[in-house]
Amino acid sequence: MKMIFVLMMGFSLTSFALENIQADHVKISWLAPQKFGAGTETLGLYFQMDPGWHIYWKNPGDSGAAPKFNFKGKAQTQISAMSWPIPQRLPISHLTNLGYEKTVAFLFDVQPDPKSIQVNFEVKMEWLVCQEECIPGFGTLSLSRSRQAGAKAQWSEADQNQIKYFSERIPASSDVSPWSVQSANLTDKDLQLRLSSKEDLTAPEIFPLDGNLLLPQQPKIEKTKHEVLISIPRVAGSAKVSKTSFVVASSGRAWEFESVPLTAESDNVASQPDLSLWFLLFSAFLGGVILNLMPCVLPVLSIKFISMTQGRPETRVKEVFLYTAGVLSTFAILGGIFLALRSAGSSIGWGFQLQSPLIVLSLILLFWLMALNFLGFFEMGTSTMNWAGRWHNSGSFVTGILSVFVAAPCTGPFMGTALGAAATLNSFSAMMIFLFLGLGLASPFLLLAAFPRALKKMPKPGPWMDSLKQFFAFPLLATVFWLIWVLGVQTGTAGWSLASGLLLLTGFAIWLGKSSRQGFVILAWLVGLGAMAFTGHSILGLRTENKQQSQWQSFSPARLAQARLEHQAVFVDFTAAWCITCQMNKKAVLETAKALQLFQDHKVLLLVADWTEQNPMITEALAKFGRNSVPVYAFYPTDGSEPKILPQILSLHILENLFKTTTSQ
Amino acid sequence: MKRVLGLLILSLGLSNLALAAATPGEPAPAFEAKDITGQTRKLSDYKGKWVVMEWSNKDCPYVKKHYGSGNMQALQKKYTAQSVVWLTVLSSAKGKEGYMEASDAAKYASEKNVAATATLMDSSGTVGKLYGAKTTPHMFVIDPQGKLAYAGAIDDNDSSDPAVIAKSKNYVAQALDFGLAGKKIETASVRPYGCGVKY
Repeated sequence: MKMIFVLMMGFSLTSFALENIQADHVKISWLAPQKFGAGTETLGLYFQMDPGWHIYWKNPGDSGAAPKFNFKGKAQTQISAMSWPIPQRLPISHLTNLGYEKTVAFLFDVQPDPKSIQVNFEVKMEWLVCQEECIPGFGTLSLSRSRQAGAKAQWSEADQNQIKYFSERIPASSDVSPWSVQSANLTDKDLQLRLSSKEDLTAPEIFPLDGNLLLPQQPKIEKTKHEVLISIPRVAGSAKVSKTSFVVASSGRAWEFESVPLTAESDNVASQPDLSLWFLLFSAFLGGVILNLMPCVLPVLSIKFISMTQGRPETRVKEVFLYTAGVLSTFAILGGIFLALRSAGSSIGWGFQLQSPLIVLSLILLFWLMALNFLGFFEMGTSTMNWAGRWHNSGSFVTGILSVFVAAPCTGPFMGTALGAAATLNSFSAMMIFLFLGLGLASPFLLLAAFPRALKKMPKPGPWMDSLKQFFAFPLLATVFWLIWVLGVQTGTAGWSLASGLLLLTGFAIWLGKSSRQGFVILAWLVGLGAMAFTGHSILGLRTENKQQSQWQSFSPARLAQARLEHQAVFVDFTAAWCITCQMNKKAVLETAKALQLFQDHKVLLLVADWTEQNPMITEALAKFGRNSVPVYAFYPTDGSEPKILPQILSLHILENLFKTTTSQ
Repeated sequence: MKRVLGLLILSLGLSNLALAAATPGEPAPAFEAKDITGQTRKLSDYKGKWVVMEWSNKDCPYVKKHYGSGNMQALQKKYTAQSVVWLTVLSSAKGKEGYMEASDAAKYASEKNVAATATLMDSSGTVGKLYGAKTTPHMFVIDPQGKLAYAGAIDDNDSSDPAVIAKSKNYVAQALDFGLAGKKIETASVRPYGCGVKY
């Protein structure tokens, strides 16, 4: 080795000590007292690297090696394990290393033999110092200091300052950390951590300690209002483990989280893609067909149907294709957003377009205006006839778009499977699933275009059509009420009153606009647009209300894991305000006195996972069941066995059976 | 909406950054490269055989640890005798540490008694990046079906001191011994140690 030793003479003639090592690109020395005293002292091994050169942390990252220390001394001198200061991420060409540049001190505690008057020990070291090239080094440092049992240790000010500086960079125990781990889930691709902090700290840096499991590169970190979501990429093909350790650093401090228990992505996710793509596409298509019958889609399609029967036969085929194009392109765009978010590591699910209060508000207004129009409260005036003519064609396209948006909350049973799979499939297959859903939704219209004779059997246009149109206003109004309720759940009572106020003012504006006087018409526009702008702006400023049901606690993987550990049965209700099936089940079964009594009798922990707003934790939990939609009802038996997934339509009978089978086992 | 847009933009950027890596349990990436004698070597040539890929750089202290002690040559000799194909890959780019012309590499191989089946010239880094080779020595073991059976360090001691070799657990030998005996390979992935590959 091309190593140069600088030999230094000790103070006394008896000790011939190497207290400094000057090697290639690194200088190593002690941070030690000049004289030991009564108690334990924190000492350091101080490394000074040449500019551009670095040494390594205990997990060195993609390449390199951590320095190794081997202490030798009198058995009576107790030397603690080495403490490693927080490292830096060092990008070295295509790699990421974890280590230190310029200077670092590794710290350890020395408790001298209480009877000694002299403290002697040495450390045998091996290190690797790298720029892009690496130079290994070996050497032994020895320390020899006198000790005065009755006095305080004597330090040089420079050494003591260094010790103080690096002590502050040593990770403390996680017990004293303001950060706490909410969940730690190990998937095939990454370790997903959710951390929350008691204090308002900057987003943390995370350094994994197990290089066999996790990659050292900068993890993806997403900060939400209350939590930080971290995705640390996993070494491809690494062995499954049940615990792992890491260091969390933020706002200049750091804490070591040791042996954090990991939840594992359940195995049925891996087995999910076994369903053949054709089966999934068929399910998606069928799900799309069923969407036509959903209460929220039916009114939209009714409008289309009216316009269809009124239209001239020549334009019908064209309209059908425009409608189909509208449906398919919307599904394609939603699919694209879905895939883009997925590749960005964000977890979202179907219905995400209804998770924004502003979109819900816009839909409320749209359905309200349609209902008023259907009821004949206002007509498209003669002045807008030209515009309406053009609107007719593009209208079919717009109807297509609209159907997809309002169809979102009505996830049929077939759609659930298909969309769940879409979340795990490759991009091409996932996109195919979206498009087949669209084809299913458009299929009744496509059939009409394919068999024009069927349309001829439709009744002739006549006054009955006005009655039908008026009748259809009511499902639209029902949709309005339902969406106002969704908004209320999302934003609280303020959302209710804002939406209702908007409806009142737009209704008033339309009435005002019917006046023949120019001034009133202008005023009408001002009132209408003003109301929209004001409500839209206000709704964005509303904080989401966190409603808590009495017997139900809100879901978290940690709460679930704890209950399972304590052999408590758990029932999880994955739900959302905009999901009608969920609300039906809740009112008809889950929140009835009988069901609650049943749960109480069997000491079941009731958890509700509310997906009304986008929540990655819940999306992940759903993904474990191979689902990407609500409702999902999961029952975890006391014996720790695999959870049971209940049917999407619940009955009290189903719940009762749950306990019969589990108790008879 | 702003957040959605942000994520969209982010996703476009991130997808390009991801470094490809061969994954244990999945088919090993197919490659084609010239060896130091000018002969073209393809992974598909070795279907039905166990294949070892060893990333090397003669100037890396960790490569010196295993070649200076004769450990690497002994492994090569032992396993090629059992019809294992051993491919040593040189991915140092021209001008970077460890780069050799084919003639120099041949000279080095004979001086050091290298017993690999072939030494592949990969100064473009194509094969290295295909496998996600991070360090020298980064080791890969491929089973007769062409699936990657092991990826990672040569052994469990990342010291550069050759004296530790005798006490180290050699993961490549373990994978091959288990694999050749028809047993399941327990350790399929370990953090590779050593110098970064000089692409």
